[in-house]
Parts: sequence; structure tokens; C-alpha cells
Amino acid sequence: MNWSDLTTAAPVVLAVLVAAAILVVDLALPGRRRLVTAVALVGLAIVAAAIVLLAQSGRHETAFGGAYTLDGLTTFLDLLFVAIAALTILFATDYLAPRGLPMAEFAAVLVFAITGAMLVAGSADLLLLFVALELMVLPGYLLAGFARNDPYSTEGAIKYFLLGSFSSAILLFGLAYVWGTTGSTRISDVAAALAVVAASHSIQPGLAMGLAFMTTGVAFKMAAVPFHYWTPDAYQGSPTPVTAYLSVGPKIGAFAIALRLFVGALGPLKADWLPVVIVLAILTMTLGNLVAITQDNVKRMLAYSSIAHTGYILVGLAAFAGGTKGLETQALQAVLFYGAAYTFMNMGAFAVIAALQRRPGVSSRISTFAGLGRRDPWLGALMALFLLSLTGIPPLAGFWAKAYVVVAAVQAGGWLTVLAVVAMLNAAAAAFYYLRVVVYMYMRDPEGEPVVSSPGLLFRVGLAATGIATLAFGLFPAFVTLAGNAASALGS
Amino acid sequence: MSLFGLPILGLITFLPAAGAVLVACMPSSRPDLIRRAALGTALVVWVMSLLLLAAFASGQAGFQYKEAFDWIPSFGIQYKVGVDGLSVLMVVLTTTLTWISILASFGPIKDRVKGYMISFLVLEVGMIGVFVALDLFLFYIFWEIVLVPMYLIIGIWGGSNRIYATMKFVLYTLVGSLLMLVAILATAFAYQAAHGGSWVGAFDYEQLQSFAQAGSFGNNFQLVAFVALFLAFAIKVPMFPFHTWLPDAHTEAPTAGSVILAGVLLKLGAYGLIRFAVPLFPYAAHTFAGPIIVLSVIAIVYGAVVSIVQPDLKRLVAYSSVSHMGFVTLGIFVFSAAALQGAILQMINHGLITGGLFLLVGVIYERTHDRTIAKMGGLAATMPIWATVFGFFILASAGLPGLSGFVGEFLVFVGSFGVAPVVAVASIIVMVLAATYLLWMFQRVALGTMSDFLRGLGDHLTDLTRVEAITLAPLVFLIVVLGIFPSVALDLLSGSVRGFLAAAGVPVG
Repeated sequence: MNWSDLTTAAPVVLAVLVAAAILVVDLALPGRRRLVTAVALVGLAIVAAAIVLLAQSGRHETAFGGAYTLDGLTTFLDLLFVAIAALTILFATDYLAPRGLPMAEFAAVLVFAITGAMLVAGSADLLLLFVALELMVLPGYLLAGFARNDPYSTEGAIKYFLLGSFSSAILLFGLAYVWGTTGSTRISDVAAALAVVAASHSIQPGLAMGLAFMTTGVAFKMAAVPFHYWTPDAYQGSPTPVTAYLSVGPKIGAFAIALRLFVGALGPLKADWLPVVIVLAILTMTLGNLVAITQDNVKRMLAYSSIAHTGYILVGLAAFAGGTKGLETQALQAVLFYGAAYTFMNMGAFAVIAALQRRPGVSSRISTFAGLGRRDPWLGALMALFLLSLTGIPPLAGFWAKAYVVVAAVQAGGWLTVLAVVAMLNAAAAAFYYLRVVVYMYMRDPEGEPVVSSPGLLFRVGLAATGIATLAFGLFPAFVTLAGNAASALGS
Repeated sequence: MSLFGLPILGLITFLPAAGAVLVACMPSSRPDLIRRAALGTALVVWVMSLLLLAAFASGQAGFQYKEAFDWIPSFGIQYKVGVDGLSVLMVVLTTTLTWISILASFGPIKDRVKGYMISFLVLEVGMIGVFVALDLFLFYIFWEIVLVPMYLIIGIWGGSNRIYATMKFVLYTLVGSLLMLVAILATAFAYQAAHGGSWVGAFDYEQLQSFAQAGSFGNNFQLVAFVALFLAFAIKVPMFPFHTWLPDAHTEAPTAGSVILAGVLLKLGAYGLIRFAVPLFPYAAHTFAGPIIVLSVIAIVYGAVVSIVQPDLKRLVAYSSVSHMGFVTLGIFVFSAAALQGAILQMINHGLITGGLFLLVGVIYERTHDRTIAKMGGLAATMPIWATVFGFFILASAGLPGLSGFVGEFLVFVGSFGVAPVVAVASIIVMVLAATYLLWMFQRVALGTMSDFLRGLGDHLTDLTRVEAITLAPLVFLIVVLGIFPSVALDLLSGSVRGFLAAAGVPVG
């Protein structure tokens, strides 16, 4: 390790320092919520600045003996993760205080989780990938159980923890097999060794086992059907800002693993894992949507809908595996763009729920939303915006995300065209449950005592940011170019 | 190209959006100001569309007043708009019906006026955009933009069963349009693959059309892509058996919503068939023409028969729409010049006549809060002007010669007789059915002695107000003009009709 290594990995190092700073500040001046929030936000801004500066300096290199890599993908994902952390903190300000939950621990744990996610994004080594993954998910368990006096929160956290650890073990088992057959944990070496295997068309049983275990492990992490059972309980039980984080942070993290692992290391074997991804995508979209239709609790409904969105992103991954050489980058670009668009619209939707739940005791049942469009026009309009975007109505971000994924799939042709049609039919079915919330907000009168909510300034900043991102993301091609640069970093 | 140095199409398309923003900035406590601002915007757009119509060079092939710039160059997606005779007529129909609808909403809509007017103006952006878009992706975006405001208009300001109706409307349309998206993308890829992987022009309608003219889309590809596009458009028209959302949506929508739904939204489907489905995939269009003609005839007959027994005024008009729109799809798929001219005229006529009928039913509903035919009777005695205008629209809808409804249907008969005489004869018989359900309805509502229900309302039954008369007058005027001088519209259409037939592979006489 030398100075150059630390510079290359500066964002990660800085993120750790930010988390430490939060803890120190809280230790020195306990109970100062505003101060802690400010430290966290300023710290994240510094991290973001470091990421941008590194990217602009044009450094594309590996560090720590090749275990960590800085490329377009790292930059793109790092920025996304920092944005997720910042938004989560903005949304948590109004939610934690009325419930007497500590801010400093929340912010510190969250920044640690994001550090893990950023490390996942830059992993060039299977071992680092696994350690980074654990750093990403362990704080997540804590966050899920953050409302420790709420039995649902505890229940969700325990389910999340048990299944999460289980799936980590499975993934590690798979990694071990791959290491055993290829003799290396370095992703580039693994890919080179597997290219030889792929050329000889003979996959040893050990490698096949490894592939199966890794697929299972990653599918757990990204909550793909049939490995999704932990999701609804964990999402519904967690404090709402945490749900907003869990629905995007670890999910994008899981896709980062998929990109580094399946695209990077296992890319040569893509013809072998393609059928599995297709089946997973179809199951995930369809089941997620069908179950979401039957939900009466908006938080739980969004949990199932996030499963469905995992399915759409998997369509992009399948398009990568099924496409010809020239189309691979385009498919990955679709995956990354979808991840970013999904992040903002989904966090926005959860944030609106959090705003309604500012006063403890307000449920996230759909009846809470009755008449919202009239009681609070701005909040209602924003929720409608997020829901329409999640549905995929142009010209909002969600539409472009779906369009790019479907573009990639249709272009890959063959069975993937069928997959594209399944995705579109699913999108139509999803309109039902998203628009049902709009129906409640605009077409029904409030039942019982109306919920009053007036979010604080920081919260509004967060809502505005997600709203603007949802509006502007697709209209300006610059964002797509950004995703495209990140995708080409994986250089297939 | 531009008019007076202005990008006229861009202005017409996006001026309503500017109006919507303006309205959004106004305080909700001043509904009158909001109403006037919305109406003012719609009138300005209307005047501009009339200027466009006046400046339009008829008889020319191809598109005029084109505007284009690259939007998403990496996929060759452009912002590209332009008009031919067909689209210019549709734009004028849209702008006309929009200001009429907004004016007609002044009285009935008292609740959440701001949201309502914003929805209407955004709706206008989408509708005009669909008719002027010359990039398939842009077309799709405008197509979907139409969906949301109409969803809100039915769902918020609709009748008692509005939520069911609006969800049904959205889900039907969305299933079709998402399949259409896949078809559009697949079409672009077919083009891109044939051009060495270059995306340039892959979504450009004119490029795609000349590509299709050269027979470059494979036959099997055409069949699949056509079916996907056709489903989207057929749901919107709506053709039998995809029509079941229409009676619910029409019945529950507020009056102005019904006017726009019948007047413009149904035309979007027919326009899509004429502009995209047939010219891009002529082989598939010819292959499927037989079944589509059969479905059209079923729609014509079924719509008329079901109309006879409807107990509700709006439902009756809604089912009659299914029947009338059947003539449009029939006229498109027999591939003859006369039939296509008839189909396009029928699109315009149906917009004017059905729009008027919904306005007139709305007038009655305002006063009685009921639309049940059985409760009506003898309205002519207390509302003579209303009854006269109603009678006029009834006769126009039934196809009385001299009024515009006759010309369109007649041309469809003439055009389809040479191709499928049985079909033409079957359709003519429906004229009798149409006269039956319309005149019977008129008799039960307007003639005879006044019903107890109406008598109980006493002074509430006032005749047409001035505002209501203003909303109806332009429609009456246009129906008479187009009935006597259909050539006004037909001249404008000649370029589009020739282009369509050439693209469909029919020798132009």
C-alpha cells in the first residue's frame, strides 16, 4: 500500500472518515441532531466532490495490488450511492426525531453501509467483493431494526439478518468453487481462465456448482423471485426512511455485484447463465406485480413493486448475455440507467410515505392517502409523479428506464423479444396498483381524521431533488451518456 | 419551414403547455380567472391552427411545416413534426373541440377548477402532438401523455362509477400502447440492422416509410409488428371486441371529457392505423384486411343494435360511436380512394356530431341530474331551442343527406361496394337501424307529453343558455358546411389519400 493506492481509493477512505467524524462529533456534543446531520451531509458532499475530481483527472487504474479498480463504473455507482445516502439522511431528519430515535448512530451506520457499497463497486477481486458486500449489508440489518421498540421492525430485521447471512454464506461457497477451478480470485484472471473453459465447451461439475451457488446468493441479495421472501417483511417493518434506503441501496449494490461478478468475472460463461437470468426475470416481474396488486399497505405494495423492478433490471442483464458483441455495452447502459432512475423515483415514493408518517402512529395503509391531493397538493403531486414514473409513463425517468431495457432486449432478439413483451405486459399490470394510490389521493375523500404533514426544510430539499431527477432524467441525454460511459468501462 | 418566421407547429403543440403552467401559477381561489386563462389559451391555439389550415398547400404530397432536431442522437431519436392534409384536419378538429370543451365546462365544473383546466391543456398538448409527430418515438410519448390527463378527468370529475371506468380505460389503453412500444422499437431495429447498425433515421417516419415502400421489412416481421400496432390502435378506436371500456368511460366522464373522448381520442386510433400501421406494414395489412373488415362490420351492426336498447342517453351515444367508428376502420381496410376519403371524413364528422350530442346530453344532465331515457319526455315544450338543435344533431348522426354525416358514410359505401358488395350492403342496412335508435330516442326524450319527473323540476328546465349556444354553434356550422361542400376537406386530403394508397400498394387511379 502506498500513497497512490490511497488516492485511487480516496472516496472510500473519505467515506470511512465521514462515518468516524459523525461518531466523534456525537461523542463530544451528544444529542445535537442538527449538527450531526450537517456533518453527515457536508461529509458526503466532500466524498462526492472527491469522486468527481478523481473522475475528471482521468485516472483509470487499479490499487492495492489489483484488488480495487477505479473506472467509469466505479465513478457512476459511487455517485449513485452517495446520493442514496444523502437522500436517506434528508428523509430521516423528520422521521427519527418525533420517535426519539438517535440521528448520529443512524447516519454513521448508513455511511458505513454506503462505504461497503462503494467498495463493492470498485472490487476487482472476489475476496474484496465479498468483504465489501458484508460491509454493505451488516449495517443494513442494524438499520432495519432501528426502531427497536417496534416489534415489526425487530421481526423484519431478524428475517433480513437470517436470510441475508444465509445467502452471504451461499455466495461465499460459490466463490470458493470458482476460486478452486480457476485458481485465482482476481476478476480479470478468473475471466481469462473461464474464457478458456468456455472455448472448450466443457464446464466441470465444480464450476457448475459454483455458478449455481453464486446465482442463488446474488438473487437473494437483489430479491429476485423465488429468493425474495425476506423483502416484504423487512421493508414493511423498517422505519420508512430505512425502507427507502433498503429498497435502493442494497439492491443497486447487489446489481453492482452482478456487474462485477457475472459480467466481469463470469462474462465468458454468459451463454450458460443466460437461461437462468431469463427465468428469474420472468418470475420476478410477474410474481412481484401480481402480489403487489393485492396489497392494501402502500409500503408493502412498494416492497413487492421493488421486486418487480428487480425483474425489469434483470431483463437488461439478460439482454447483455443474449446480445451480440456490439450490443453488450448498450444493455449494461440500460441496466445502469434503470438503477439510477429507479433509485430516485422509488426513494421519492417512500419519502412521501415518510412525510405522511411524520407523526408517529400513522399507518402506511392506502386509506392514509385518501384525499391527499386536496389536503396537500404539492405532496400529492409529487407522489403522483413518482407513481407515474414507476408505472413508466413518458416523459418521466421510469419510462426511459423501461424503454432502454426493452430496447436492449428487443435488439438482442430471439427469446429476449418474448422477454421484452412479458416485461411490457407486466408494466401494464403494474399500472393498476400504482394508479390505485393516485385514485385514493385524487378521487376519494379522506376517511376519518385527515393526516396533516408539513415536512421540514431538509426533507423538502430531498423531495425536490428526487422529483427533479424523476422529471429530468430521461429528457436530457447527458444522464444516459453518463451511464453509457460507465457501461463501457466493463468493456466486454 | 415556418409560418411568418415562426415554428408554427411547435407553437401550436406547446402553447397549451405554457397555458397550463400559467394556470398552475394562479391562485385556486380565483376560478373565474383560471377558466378565462384556459379558454384564452385554447382560443389562441385554435386561431393559430386555423392560420395553419389557411396557409396549408393542399394537394401536395408529403409533409409541410416540418421542424426537426436531434433529441437523443445515440438512438437516432428526433423531435420531428410536420403535417399533411390528414393531420392538419385532425389538429384543427382537436383545437376546435378543446376550446368548446373548456367553455362547456365553465358551468358544470365548480370543484377543483385549476386541476381540471391544467388537465385539459396538457391533454391538448398530447393530442396535437400525436397528430403532428413524425418520429415514432415522439409519437409514442405524445400518445402516452394523452392517457394521464384523461385518466384524471374521468376519475376526479366523473360520475358515480368513475373509478372503475377510469381504471378500465387506462388498463385497456396501456396494454395496447406498451405492445405498440415494443413494435416501434422492433421496427427501428429492423431499419437499423439494415443500415449497418446506424441509428440515424431509425425512428424517422419518412425514412421508415420509404424503407417500407422498398419492401424491406420481411413478411413475417410485418405480421408480428402489425398485430402489435393494430392492437394498440384497435383498442383506442375502439373496434369490436376491444370496445368494452368505451361505454363505461363515456358514461362516467364529465360532459367535456366525453366530447374530447369521442371527438379526438377515438380518432387517435384511426389516425394511427392510417399513418403508421398500414403504410409501414402493407403486406400484413393486406393479409389481415379480411378479418379486420369482418370485425368492422360486426362493430357497425353490433353497435347499432345495442344502442337501441340502451336506457341511458350517454350510453346510447357511446354505443353509436362504436357503430360509427366501424365505418372508419371499414373505409381504411378496403384500400380504395373513395372509402379512405369517406373514412377520414367520417372521423371528422363523428367528432363534430358525437361531440355535439354529448354537449346536448350534458345540457339535460345539468338541469335534471339524470340521463335515463325512460324518465324524459316532452322536453320540446319547455326547451324548444334545445330540442331543435338536438333534432339537428340526431339527423346528422343518422346520416341525413345534406349534412356531413351522410357524405362520409356514403363514400365508404361507394368505396367498399367495388371491393366487397356484401359488406357494403350489410352496412347500408345499418343506416336504417341508426335511424331507428336515434329517432326513437329523440321521440322518447323530446316529444310527447312531459313526464312526471320533468314536471317535478319546474323552473329548472330552462332552455339553452348563451354559453351553451356558443359551444354548439360552430359544430352546427361545420356540419352544414361539410355536408354541402365536402370538397373543402377532400381537397386537403388528396395528397394524404394518394400517399396512403401508394404505400398500401394499391394502384392509384
